[in-house]
Amino acid sequence: MPNKITKKLKRFACLIAVTAFTASSAYADGVKVGFIGSLSSDAGLSALRGAQIAIDELNAAGGFNGEPIEYVKADTREDVTEGIKAYEYLAESEEVDFILSGSIDDVSLGWLPRMKEFRIPTLDTWTSYIGIIDMVIEDYEGMKTYFMNVASDEALATLYVDFGRDILAKKMGWDSVVILHEDTAFGGAINGLVSELLAPESGIEVLDTIVYDTATVDFSPIFNRAVDTGADFIYLISSVNSQVVSSQYTKLQVPKAMTGVNVAALGQEYWEDTGGEGGGISTLSPVPSVGFALDPASQEFVNTYTAKYGDSRPRFPHFNGFNAYWGIKQAFAAAKDAGGFDPDAWPQEMLKQDIKLEKDGEIWLRYGFWQPGEVEERTGRTYPHNIKFDITPPYDNGAPSMVVIQWYENGETAVIYPPKYATGEFAVPSWVK
Amino acid sequence: MTNPTKKYLLLWAIFIAVMLLLPEFVSKGTLRTIIFANFLAIFAISWDVLSGRTGYISFGHPFLIGIGAYTSAILSYRFDMPIELSIPLAVLTTTIGGTLFFLPALRLKGSYFALVTLAFMELMYQLVQVIRPDLTGGTRGMSGIETITRGAVNNYYLSFALMVTIAISMWLLMRTRFGSALSAIGMNEESVRGSGLSTTKLKLAAFMTSAFIAGLGGAFYVHYLGSIAPRALFDINFLFTIIVSALIGGAATIIGPMFGALFLTILLEALRPILPGVERYLIYGSIALIVYMFKPQGLVVLVLDTLDKLRSIISSRS
Repeated sequence: MPNKITKKLKRFACLIAVTAFTASSAYADGVKVGFIGSLSSDAGLSALRGAQIAIDELNAAGGFNGEPIEYVKADTREDVTEGIKAYEYLAESEEVDFILSGSIDDVSLGWLPRMKEFRIPTLDTWTSYIGIIDMVIEDYEGMKTYFMNVASDEALATLYVDFGRDILAKKMGWDSVVILHEDTAFGGAINGLVSELLAPESGIEVLDTIVYDTATVDFSPIFNRAVDTGADFIYLISSVNSQVVSSQYTKLQVPKAMTGVNVAALGQEYWEDTGGEGGGISTLSPVPSVGFALDPASQEFVNTYTAKYGDSRPRFPHFNGFNAYWGIKQAFAAAKDAGGFDPDAWPQEMLKQDIKLEKDGEIWLRYGFWQPGEVEERTGRTYPHNIKFDITPPYDNGAPSMVVIQWYENGETAVIYPPKYATGEFAVPSWVK
Repeated sequence: MTNPTKKYLLLWAIFIAVMLLLPEFVSKGTLRTIIFANFLAIFAISWDVLSGRTGYISFGHPFLIGIGAYTSAILSYRFDMPIELSIPLAVLTTTIGGTLFFLPALRLKGSYFALVTLAFMELMYQLVQVIRPDLTGGTRGMSGIETITRGAVNNYYLSFALMVTIAISMWLLMRTRFGSALSAIGMNEESVRGSGLSTTKLKLAAFMTSAFIAGLGGAFYVHYLGSIAPRALFDINFLFTIIVSALIGGAATIIGPMFGALFLTILLEALRPILPGVERYLIYGSIALIVYMFKPQGLVVLVLDTLDKLRSIISSRS
């Protein structure tokens, strides 16, 4: 009898030892982080570099559980099929533990089924498509490894409606618009939001919608058509070669104000790219952006970034560079608490992450997440696993979903909306009467 | 059965046996790459049946693949139709719908035919974004479409089975008088017409066969990817990859498009760890260009020529 007990105890001890060994050796070779995104766009590179800086800092502090963190990258070329191949490469060839994404809407939608299949914790820093958050709501078990730390486009649009109402309609007295959007998935999607939300909510009528090809080099006939509509202003939606349309707007001195979404104008290189001819336009931008006053912690990140990358563009990180930096920090903090990147345990800990960045004693930026079932009061809906944005003034519970930035004719930039973050005022170009 | 046929059947059997054993020897990552190569081979074979054989260069193949992919995706994703039904319906829609669209184009020749087919691709790109985006998913497409199976190994076997079935079927078909007539059209259409054959009927049959394969491949492809977006299918790069696969492997053959697809896909993925950025496309493009300039008949002829040379060297020494 004692022999049997001894044997059982021995087996139990062996089991404990094996379990302990397995647990400790799970990351004995270090942890692998995969980057999926465009390696040739400023926004893609911003995310890639933001994550690199965070990983460098984590490695300098001892890595993860004493082991180094390895970083591998897979280019999507902003192509849907390449995105799927890239995700498969990271999952099955590189066997990464965590994936950081700098992908645009349809590219993320392309690889999402792979994420569900491989169950790899994944953080998106660029796409803001609300449909993905809806997928998290509809299939929580399958999608729980997914997080998005940029405000979803519905939240972006809500704040933009406020801008339309407060500045474009009330302050400027405009009541009609002509939409000029590029022929891309992004252009079509934002056009839908503007037509269905901004215009009716702000009392602005859409007189015409002009779709242009991204390869367009001569915008004069397009601008002529826009001017002929008699609209008060032009709403531009451009993510590809946006500097071309902007610089032609300035060179041609189009006699209508132009605002909207201009992705090229989110980076500091915009002024160079337009040959100093990009002034007079404004664009919405996720935060932080150029012209955005930074809190000390974000400023420190920018200092490290500029010291490391110098004159290599983008010289100033786009918003998703910040998201990638803080996102990596949070992902590893969650992994520490969860004992690794287990697809069931990690999301629970990631949901608890909450970095509040303060400036002058008030909350300035926030990297937290909406919990499943938690209702955002203004829109009356849930945003599980989306960044904890605040779209209600005075924005004291988080970062705003977006700001509007202005490029002045002298090349200076400022945030012009919402008022809490404003460092300048909305201005129309000098040639517009 | 003639001796050459026996020889080829033996080669097919060896090829299938090797491919079936492949998962035992290569990583899952490599299998994922070969899955894409298998689908690309299907599309390239489909293109080759029409364009490689008859000389009617189609730039509209993504249009046909798209009909198959979108039909099956919409039926299964939006209407909860089982895949067992949605795929055959998608193939039928592609064959009939594609034929109706392309029928007027079959009266055209040369660059006119190519341009009209290119216009079809662009038309489809615009249509899926504008017409019923509630069904097609508009510009962003659809994600979360049911997949037939999961995992690299299962999907590898599925895609290989599909590809090799299509390849052998086409190989057998092209050995018939129909196949010979198609090749003859490519050489001299007037002579074929002069011999009393209806070239319009032959071209129509070739097109329907091509559309059938494209629809079948497209439907299976979308249920492998699990997502679909207009930009992924109706894209000039996608079109060129299909054409280059057929040409670089060896047009008007069956093994050529298969070989070309495998070569291009593996080359690009092999470069990824060394050159993760866009540079690999430069290398990839350059290699493809050199191969094509050096051997316009394709890689298959290059390999066969090399084997012949080796054989003659060995025999001369002995």
